[in-house]
Amino acid sequence: DGQNIYRTVSFRGPCHDLIPCSSDNNLRSSVIKDGDETFSIGLNMPAKTVVFTNVRKFDGDKFRWLSSGEYIQMSGRAGRRGIDERGICILMVDEKIEPSTAKNMLKGNADSLNSAFHLSYNMLLNQIRCEDGHPENLLRNSFYQFQSDRAIPSLERQTKQLEEEKNSIIIEEEDSLKNYYSLIEQYRTLKKDVRDITFSAKYCLPFLQPGRLVCIELTRTAEDLPSFSLKDHVTWGVIINFQRVKSSAQGEGFFVFGQQFSNYLFISTDENFLVDEESKKPEDASYTIDVLTRCMVSKEGGAKRTTKIIPLKNRGEPLVVYSLSSIRIIISKDLLPPEARENTLKKVSEVLSRFSKEGVPLLDPEEDMKVQSSSYRKAVRRIEALESLFDKHEVAKSPLIEQKLQMLHKKQELAAKIKSIKKQMRSCTALAFKDELKARKRVLRRLGYISNDDVVELKGKVACEISSADELTLTELIFSGVFKDIKVEEMVALLSCLVWQEKLQEAQKPREELELLFAQLQEAARRVAKVQLDCKVEIDVENFASSFRPDIMEAVYAWAKGSKFYEIMEITQVFEGSLIRAIRRLEEVLQQLIQAARSIGESELESKFEEAVNKIKRDIVFAASLYL
Amino acid sequence: MKETQITLNQTQKIRLQRALDTLHSLSSKSLSDASVTVADKIPVNLNDSSILKGHGTLDLDGELISTNCGIVERIDRLVYVRSTKSRYIPETGNVIVGRVVEVAQDRWKVDINAYHDGVLMLASVTSPDGIQRRRTEADELNMRNTFEEDDVISAEVRNVQNNYTAQLHARSEKYGKITHYTDFLQLDRGQLIVVPCYLVKKRKQHFHQLDEYGVLVILGCNGYVWVGELIEAKDGMELDISEQTHGGFTKSEEEEQHTTLLETRQNICRISNAVRVLSILGFNITLEVILEIFDLSRSLDVEIHDMLGGEFCVLVAEREAERRSQN
Repeated sequence: DGQNIYRTVSFRGPCHDLIPCSSDNNLRSSVIKDGDETFSIGLNMPAKTVVFTNVRKFDGDKFRWLSSGEYIQMSGRAGRRGIDERGICILMVDEKIEPSTAKNMLKGNADSLNSAFHLSYNMLLNQIRCEDGHPENLLRNSFYQFQSDRAIPSLERQTKQLEEEKNSIIIEEEDSLKNYYSLIEQYRTLKKDVRDITFSAKYCLPFLQPGRLVCIELTRTAEDLPSFSLKDHVTWGVIINFQRVKSSAQGEGFFVFGQQFSNYLFISTDENFLVDEESKKPEDASYTIDVLTRCMVSKEGGAKRTTKIIPLKNRGEPLVVYSLSSIRIIISKDLLPPEARENTLKKVSEVLSRFSKEGVPLLDPEEDMKVQSSSYRKAVRRIEALESLFDKHEVAKSPLIEQKLQMLHKKQELAAKIKSIKKQMRSCTALAFKDELKARKRVLRRLGYISNDDVVELKGKVACEISSADELTLTELIFSGVFKDIKVEEMVALLSCLVWQEKLQEAQKPREELELLFAQLQEAARRVAKVQLDCKVEIDVENFASSFRPDIMEAVYAWAKGSKFYEIMEITQVFEGSLIRAIRRLEEVLQQLIQAARSIGESELESKFEEAVNKIKRDIVFAASLYL
Repeated sequence: MKETQITLNQTQKIRLQRALDTLHSLSSKSLSDASVTVADKIPVNLNDSSILKGHGTLDLDGELISTNCGIVERIDRLVYVRSTKSRYIPETGNVIVGRVVEVAQDRWKVDINAYHDGVLMLASVTSPDGIQRRRTEADELNMRNTFEEDDVISAEVRNVQNNYTAQLHARSEKYGKITHYTDFLQLDRGQLIVVPCYLVKKRKQHFHQLDEYGVLVILGCNGYVWVGELIEAKDGMELDISEQTHGGFTKSEEEEQHTTLLETRQNICRISNAVRVLSILGFNITLEVILEIFDLSRSLDVEIHDMLGGEFCVLVAEREAERRSQN
């Protein structure tokens, strides 16, 4: 395609190719320089014209259209300041593109810029050092604060809208209705408690025989509001089998897992128990029950409510078992063929119709299942009390109670939403990072970097000098004398752990002396992190300690000893660019350490750091430019 | 304690001695144990090779010798000697008061009681019109309108170079407080008092505006203390147009005519003498103590010039001893 450019677009001037580095040697003889999109980020090569040879690019994952932000960034390079009156941008559209896509690309917005402001100890210390330094002012005037302030009007509007909506819902006899509502909530929770106790594996396991009728909850589709009647929306099914769940969670109780199997809820008809490797007591494990009941599969694959029988949730969702019946029916062994299943379900409906008047007899928890916990009895008594209250309640008799309750529920939900948005607003108006600021100051005081009246101590002055690596850990290392009696190359290798942020998959372990030094570094890091945790800074001690990696210790050690670059690339598997970046950052840290050593008056250490700089600052790693 | 500065009779000497003895006994024992003089050996575990040897120490024949007179401080593995009586050693962030000694091409040389004069660059000072811009040659030629030789200025140490030369800057509002004639804090109505620099400790605040007395006190970390008249900052809008056309640096005639009130002058003198008393006695100079002495002298109706006399100094010493023994 380089040839194509040359032919179709005849002009003179540098040309920036969009495709990552497809260098075409034929082009190089002409005035066209080819480059990739990295040139557009801002290397100092002014250009009059920018030519896009493709409108698609490969971003490492897939071939996609150019985004508007990228287009803006790259086309903005056209035109040399002070020399060209205008810059020219040529977009070679080599394939069919929808007008809407093209419009988005050319007229779209640039990538949004979100503040990534964060507090650092170095920043804090330097602020405290100056008499005029007010960290709170810095936070208040930061871009982060500005962006979060901007979000406030929209949140306010939302709150207003929701409040209007809430106030428009008018219900008669609202107070007594609220009372009733809360009673219903209590009733439900108690019933759930009772169910939890009754259906813990301890009590119900002996009763989960194949053929027992079980009462399960109907599923609801998303549009339905929760029902508020005292009656439960349930239906009946037949237990086929049950299995122990090999789960990592140690929960009691069990779930009924459904699986789409045409119209029937079914799981594997595995008749064997799952043998649990861990020696968990049978009572404590979780179980799944295979239940045969009717469901309907909708087009989307989910289940929908039918008129008569059971809708069921999608596969894998737990249902609530309401009660076990004392009736067992005989079921055939093989339930795969649909006729067998249909037959079984016919038997179930027959049972239901036979007992339609009194209701299907249930297993009584106390008598049959021998539930004997006191909490169960307490819960049962409270339920009975509540039930009597329901009958006496005045509102219970009023018509349309169900709808009124639903409206009330909706109102409560709106109120909850309003509350959460208000909370969000409050956190926006409050100064971002304020708590973190206080916590970090506490850390500095605890570690002795600042005195109690916020005057910077000597340790703090040392930490002020360090900005390219973790200042607290490094200062602790300096003051613990680790750098004093080790060789220069070892010191450089140790410092490399502080500037290397990537995670290498299979890094080789460094040699023993370096390993020891690294352990000392981790020790200091852990100490620092613990103090931070105590002062309520959000930090994970182990994460922090393991963020320092010894992956390039060997390579940097070799570099400091004088090896050539290709030799150290054989030691380690990292990218060349990453290694060079790390070594350059290391040199920055060393320069800062020289200043720090000077401020504490340790001339030996200072000369050691200077020697280290001389040892690593050489050759290709520190070459200013590879081209010139 | 510069005893030669004040004349005491016998009883006063005894009282003073008693007060000082009380204070000595109250001070922490560990500090006096850690004091060393030149060529003293510093007790340190020499087998430990990770000891960091800081300022004022020297490794001689395998032993750690002190090169200063001072107190041995230990922070983790760092051992250094903090000298008590020395010239001011500048540190970044310190607020200092200094006297201009030289006007050079693009900078002022300022005497700050250190080993080298401080350097105040022209660019480190807010430009007269307040705009952030490059300093032109016209600005350089007008330097004298801002600060001349023998002017007293206040500044902050921006950084310290390798040879301990302080680079100063006076950019913030505080140092460049807007007065009614120029943009800078002209320290010309008051007293500059030289005290030993170790009596002024680094604090959170060094500028103290005492509105009720109309006095501004600046405790410079370098031992130069300024006690002067507090000029109320006039609102910028009220500036006369004619004043602005003079060019930023010139002083208007108003300044010449403005006279300080008698009461303010008395306050300035009283506070200055309070500072002098503290310096004579060798006590730390903080605003609270200064104000205490000020109140004491007023309540006892001590004449201003009598404050430097023997009786008042002894009184102050006794008061201090009493106060500290009560804490």
